[in-house]
Amino acid sequence: MSSSREKILAAVRTNQPVELPLPTVPSFEGDDSVEKFTSIVQGIGGTVVEVADATRLPEVIHQLFPADYRIASPLLPEANVPVTAQTPIEVLAAVDLAVLQGEFGVAENGSIWVPEANMLHRALPMITQHLALVLDRRNLVATMHQAYARIPSVGGYGTFLAGPSKTADIEQSLVIGAHGARSMVVLLV
Amino acid sequence: MKVALFIPCYVDQFYPQVGIATLQLLEKLGVRADFPKQQTCCGQPMANSGCERDAIPVYHNFVDAFDGYEYVVGPAGSCVYHVRKHFDIIEQTPAVQHVRTNTYELFDFILNVLGINEIPGSFPHKVGLHLSCHGQRGLHQANESEMTPVRDGQLRRLLSSMQGLELTELDRNDECCGFGGTFCVSEAGISARMGQDRVADHVRNGTRVLTGGDMSCLMHLEGIVRRAKLPIKVMHAAEILNGAIL
Amino acid sequence: MSHSKRSNIFLLDAERTTWHDETLWFVRQKRDKAVYATPEFQELRQLASDIKDHTLSRLDFYLQQFEENARRNGVQVHWAADAHEHNQIVLGLLKRHGATRVVKSKSMLTEECHLNPYLIKHGVDVVDTDLGERIIQLRDEAPSHVVLPAIHLKKEDVGDTFHLHLGTEKGNNDPQQLTETARQHLREKFLVSEVAISGVNFAVAETGSVVVCTNEGNADLGVNLAKVHIACMGMEKLIPRLSDLSVFTRILTRSATGQPITTYTSHFSKPAEGKEMHVVIVDNGRTKQLGRPDFRNSLKCIRCGACMNTCPVYRRSGGHSYDFTIPGPIGAILSPNIDMRKHASLPFASTLCGSCTDVCPVKIDIHTQLYKWRQVLGQEGEIPASKKWSMRLLSRVLSKPAVYGLGGKVARQGLRFLPHGLTHGKGYNPWAIARELPEPPKQSFREWYAQQAVK
Repeated sequence: MSSSREKILAAVRTNQPVELPLPTVPSFEGDDSVEKFTSIVQGIGGTVVEVADATRLPEVIHQLFPADYRIASPLLPEANVPVTAQTPIEVLAAVDLAVLQGEFGVAENGSIWVPEANMLHRALPMITQHLALVLDRRNLVATMHQAYARIPSVGGYGTFLAGPSKTADIEQSLVIGAHGARSMVVLLV
Repeated sequence: MKVALFIPCYVDQFYPQVGIATLQLLEKLGVRADFPKQQTCCGQPMANSGCERDAIPVYHNFVDAFDGYEYVVGPAGSCVYHVRKHFDIIEQTPAVQHVRTNTYELFDFILNVLGINEIPGSFPHKVGLHLSCHGQRGLHQANESEMTPVRDGQLRRLLSSMQGLELTELDRNDECCGFGGTFCVSEAGISARMGQDRVADHVRNGTRVLTGGDMSCLMHLEGIVRRAKLPIKVMHAAEILNGAIL
Repeated sequence: MSHSKRSNIFLLDAERTTWHDETLWFVRQKRDKAVYATPEFQELRQLASDIKDHTLSRLDFYLQQFEENARRNGVQVHWAADAHEHNQIVLGLLKRHGATRVVKSKSMLTEECHLNPYLIKHGVDVVDTDLGERIIQLRDEAPSHVVLPAIHLKKEDVGDTFHLHLGTEKGNNDPQQLTETARQHLREKFLVSEVAISGVNFAVAETGSVVVCTNEGNADLGVNLAKVHIACMGMEKLIPRLSDLSVFTRILTRSATGQPITTYTSHFSKPAEGKEMHVVIVDNGRTKQLGRPDFRNSLKCIRCGACMNTCPVYRRSGGHSYDFTIPGPIGAILSPNIDMRKHASLPFASTLCGSCTDVCPVKIDIHTQLYKWRQVLGQEGEIPASKKWSMRLLSRVLSKPAVYGLGGKVARQGLRFLPHGLTHGKGYNPWAIARELPEPPKQSFREWYAQQAVK
């Protein structure tokens, strides 16, 4: 244990005020419809494609993306870039499209929870040029309150992903495709 | 009802017509107000400059001047806000508490104490309302754009109730004018620029008479209007209401 | 140099001032739209404020709980009393791994600690990967805003910078193309960096996780490719429970940019297999601020920048006019805690309009603290002597009604009869730079009133 640790904790104990209550956070309800989710995803630069059933995913991917794309995915037999947690960076950097499973979507902000277990490699959802997340339409919640209620543990790593990577750092002009995926499509099954 | 008129120092010295209008307006609304001549200032200039301690004798003088009255009414939200919020550093005697609780901004008094919501009068002009921050955010006399898109407030209602009066809809409804007390000289550059931007919003949207509930903001804005020789008349809202009332 | 002197320099370019004001007002309007569309927003503000107040009141417990859980997750936790110790810890970790190439995502804490110059001095190639941060790093400038670090620059400025450093065509000022250039340039850095440094938006005590929010994905990309992740956090970033994030993720971006959430809201709890994760907890004056009852709740700040976007002074003076890592209203109440003398002018760089307090998503009473800092500075003798003595004199006059009445009369008469040029001299009357003085009336109100009584 460093001495700074003890010094800091001692100073905190001396200076912190008397204990104030920790509030209970109510579960603010809201609209958890596909329509709401879809309109928000579009508003943040993503696309939503409704897929009749999971068996048609390869077909939809084929329609949406060029045939020569290098694809990484645990969900598609067509995936031609095998990725694991040990995959070298150069291989990851060459992925055009990652198709990954999303756990659930949040209608109020268009984000989708993607835990590490669904990513093949932690960097894959960001290093891929394009990202497609498969989401069961029954797995939509209204707000972040219901979202966190669904994940008692966040595991080693997990992220709420909301649309493609973007920036407005140059004169507040919105540019899609900063460092992460240039596009994000939600495949709603 | 025993009411005292609180005429802030700069209104006393530079805008006696605003004090007169306040007195007459109250009279027309059925309230006879006294002007205790012991009063000077609320002490805000010192306190805002970081010299709150120096303001203590001024605070005591204020309380002594007004303690004997049921209500203290002044045409300046900022000074009223100062009395209510910042007189907390002196001993909270019953007199101090009484004065702090019962000092009212003029239009707050008219609406909430007198219960008057409409002014029977006519003022057929395009009027731009400047919301003073201390009245609006400090005394909650008007809705805040930080909270809601609905533009509502005490003075807005009173002015809207007058015949022929058309209110200017500003691009920025409640941005600060940049007066800020001693800020207007210690940060003169920014203060002036803020005032110019505020006036430009009024010019752009057709204001011919610029008004408000706080003469300090209006003094600053009037200084800019006159320097730029703009065709805008600056009047305290008490002057408008008093002049137009039937 | 005082804030007013620095802002006068900014104001010299009137057109640019207009542009800066309008750009930030636009962000404020986006925030308004998002807030109006969230009916429970005011309730969320109260919850966020209460959670943070509670956390600060049991900070010793939550710090230890966080540490214990993080360690259990395989994360190494370090404690730094000040900026220097923080920098030493980071450098020590880099040395231990023999790392010379580092990518860093946005972190106001590392700005506060001046980590970059320290690492560069020690031979480390540290690259900021947030686009705005990279732009100002190439220009060797400080960020001018906590969320929008390069908001003071026009696209032409960025075009020139990229032409100079990244070889883009001269005159190419297209944000799309410039961003693409930065993407290519920074991908090279991401792919080869041994260590990634990130900031921390929230640290969850009950899980030992740190949460990082970005729109660009630069934090995740850097951290998930490097072998070592160093997350640097101020100790006030703690929140008790995972579920508290629901409140904070809902208010953070709505307040900051009007977005419903950032593109990436990432929870880092354990290092990936075969990799390392470190968290550096930094004090650097925070325990001191915790001990100041009037000012401690400034530690609730979640760095959304809303108070900057709404501040009419900030919008017209620019972030650099504050000469402190955190500019704007929140910076003006944090900075005197660090160095009262150096930042003595900042609490006065406000009209006390209160808009900052009303937009603050964690309900910090910013304008009240500005007022209180003024009193502290006044008592500590950190205000100009001329102001001190004039206020003392004013107090003498205003506490004696007779002196006040006479003094007012003399001053008004003076104003009435002195020539305009003399009363409006710009050299000694700052009011006159853009404003006419009121036309002094013959009678004051009190003189008029006395006459009425006689009648």
